[in-house]
Amino acid sequence: MGRASLLQKLILIVAALMMVAPAFLFFLWMASLSIKFEVDNGAYPPILLPEHFAWKNYAGVLQSNNFLLYFKNSVLVTGAATLLGLVVGVPAGYGIARMNATRAAVVIMIARMTPGLSFLIPLFLIFKGLNLLGTLWPQIIIHLVVTVPIVIWIMIGYFETMPIELEEAAMIDGANRWQVFWKIALPVARPGVVVSLILSVIFSWNNFVFGVVLASRETRTLPVAIYNMLSFEQVSWGPLAAAALIVTLPVLVLTVVAQRQIVAGLTAGAVKGG
Amino acid sequence: MAEVQIIDVRKAFQATEVIRGVDIRIADGEFVTLVGPSGCGKSTLLRMVAGLETVTGGEIRIGGRVVNDVPPKDRDIAMVFQNYALYPHMRVADNMAFSLTLKKAPREEIARRVARAAEILGLTGLLDRYPRQLSGGQRQRVAMGRAIVRDPQVFLFDEPLSNLDAKLRVSMRAEIKDLHQRLKTTTLYVTHDQIEAMTMAERIVVLNDGRIEQIGAPLDLYDRPANLFVAQFIGSPAMNVLSGTRDGGTFCSDRDLRLPLPAGCSAPVGPPLVLGVRPEHLRLSAEGFSARVLLVEPTGSETQISVDADGHALTCLLRERIAVRPGEIIRLAALPSALHLFDAASGCRLP
Repeated sequence: MGRASLLQKLILIVAALMMVAPAFLFFLWMASLSIKFEVDNGAYPPILLPEHFAWKNYAGVLQSNNFLLYFKNSVLVTGAATLLGLVVGVPAGYGIARMNATRAAVVIMIARMTPGLSFLIPLFLIFKGLNLLGTLWPQIIIHLVVTVPIVIWIMIGYFETMPIELEEAAMIDGANRWQVFWKIALPVARPGVVVSLILSVIFSWNNFVFGVVLASRETRTLPVAIYNMLSFEQVSWGPLAAAALIVTLPVLVLTVVAQRQIVAGLTAGAVKGG
Repeated sequence: MAEVQIIDVRKAFQATEVIRGVDIRIADGEFVTLVGPSGCGKSTLLRMVAGLETVTGGEIRIGGRVVNDVPPKDRDIAMVFQNYALYPHMRVADNMAFSLTLKKAPREEIARRVARAAEILGLTGLLDRYPRQLSGGQRQRVAMGRAIVRDPQVFLFDEPLSNLDAKLRVSMRAEIKDLHQRLKTTTLYVTHDQIEAMTMAERIVVLNDGRIEQIGAPLDLYDRPANLFVAQFIGSPAMNVLSGTRDGGTFCSDRDLRLPLPAGCSAPVGPPLVLGVRPEHLRLSAEGFSARVLLVEPTGSETQISVDADGHALTCLLRERIAVRPGEIIRLAALPSALHLFDAASGCRLP
């Protein structure tokens, strides 16, 4: 390897590190905080790895009464919102793609880009009027604003690149519209469904704004719970960092495991029609 | 009876008319090819017969029944696409059985019909594979197998060999022809390759810009093309054409190249004509016109020579190998009976 290209590679690595550094280093520091005792936190020079690991931070979080409840809430809200998002979004994406309904797609994009806060208050009033505020339903419904557009947009891209001859062959073979969708279009577009599922989960899980307004003490989700840790107790960094890491972990693992599918799905992996 | 009748069919996409009144009657069991240049409407016509496009005007009948408004699945047809259109998430056997699975046919019948189709096409060992594990030729055969299993009244082929390499194309051509002789199903075959059309069809329909130029047996189109378009479309290399007029018993071209006309030629003296002569009908002859050699292309069995005859660029195809080089002069003549005359204004053949 020549001197010049070695230098090029080095510069590339340094540049990449610089771009990634803020997010990565922040994360590293948070991990470090979570395993340090209170006394190590303010130490100068800052300690990355302490002598004694404060696993009690994690233990404390996991044993806390309501943590399991909040975890369950998060799972239910994200799970339901993603599932409903898929049930509504995949057929919608198929219809929009096949009918070339670009105006409908633009409407959905506008809905996606509208700040969530703008419909938060009106919806809050509606939920209050319907007496739903004590349940998880308000959050599930409002999370649909996040998940449905994601699903529709990814599925439109996917279905548009699927060769229409596959569906024509199925129609000649005797399938009606529904069978064409269920037996041919959907299985072939499965990677797209997986990607939209993953992205929906990621965006819904991390959502904070909706939960803060709509959740009560029993129905709040994990991001909101962490926020509340901040205000109620004195700022104890250790348990706080531990809690934050625990909340981020599922989505982090999901992203790392599925990163190839995410990239493939977002670049509209075209399926060659056999 | 599986005859297909296309009666005065028209098709327009919004304001643009792409098919302008086409009439074709295909007899039961006949193999008919639709040829034409790109954009002439042959695929659109095929898709209208399949039911994948609506018909703007006219009627399409299959087996005597008007099918204009009948959905594809009820027309009892099967189609083979240019890019195979195999279901990628199903095995070969499931691909071929799909139509029967939809009809909820009994398992033994499905297995029996799939096995029979696989045997005809030589696919028996590949039934458990996925389409992505097959070569192009194998995939095309699976697509044909899917069509055979349906046991339809009509087979529709949409340029099925265009995606295959040259050698494979030749062998698949023979297979399709052989298949037709075995099954005797009415077949409508679309291609832009006139060699495919000539070798496979019982009758050829030449389409141009939404209109039929000529329908007939392959050799009829070759020997007696009805107009200039057909004359230049059928036959490879293309027919040589010369503009000029008739002068007594001779054809006199614009650049004063003279060729003797056959006795009994009824072409009028005076109005502008177009003379056509196929490259393979030009011979070396001491009494012929002289031409300067531009390019020599030997193919082993024949020699294709491009010449300049008094300013006309002509191609001739000679059976023998001659030792000429570019720049030399040779003398060529054409058998008068192998000449074609067309009216310059309409392009129609003059008997």
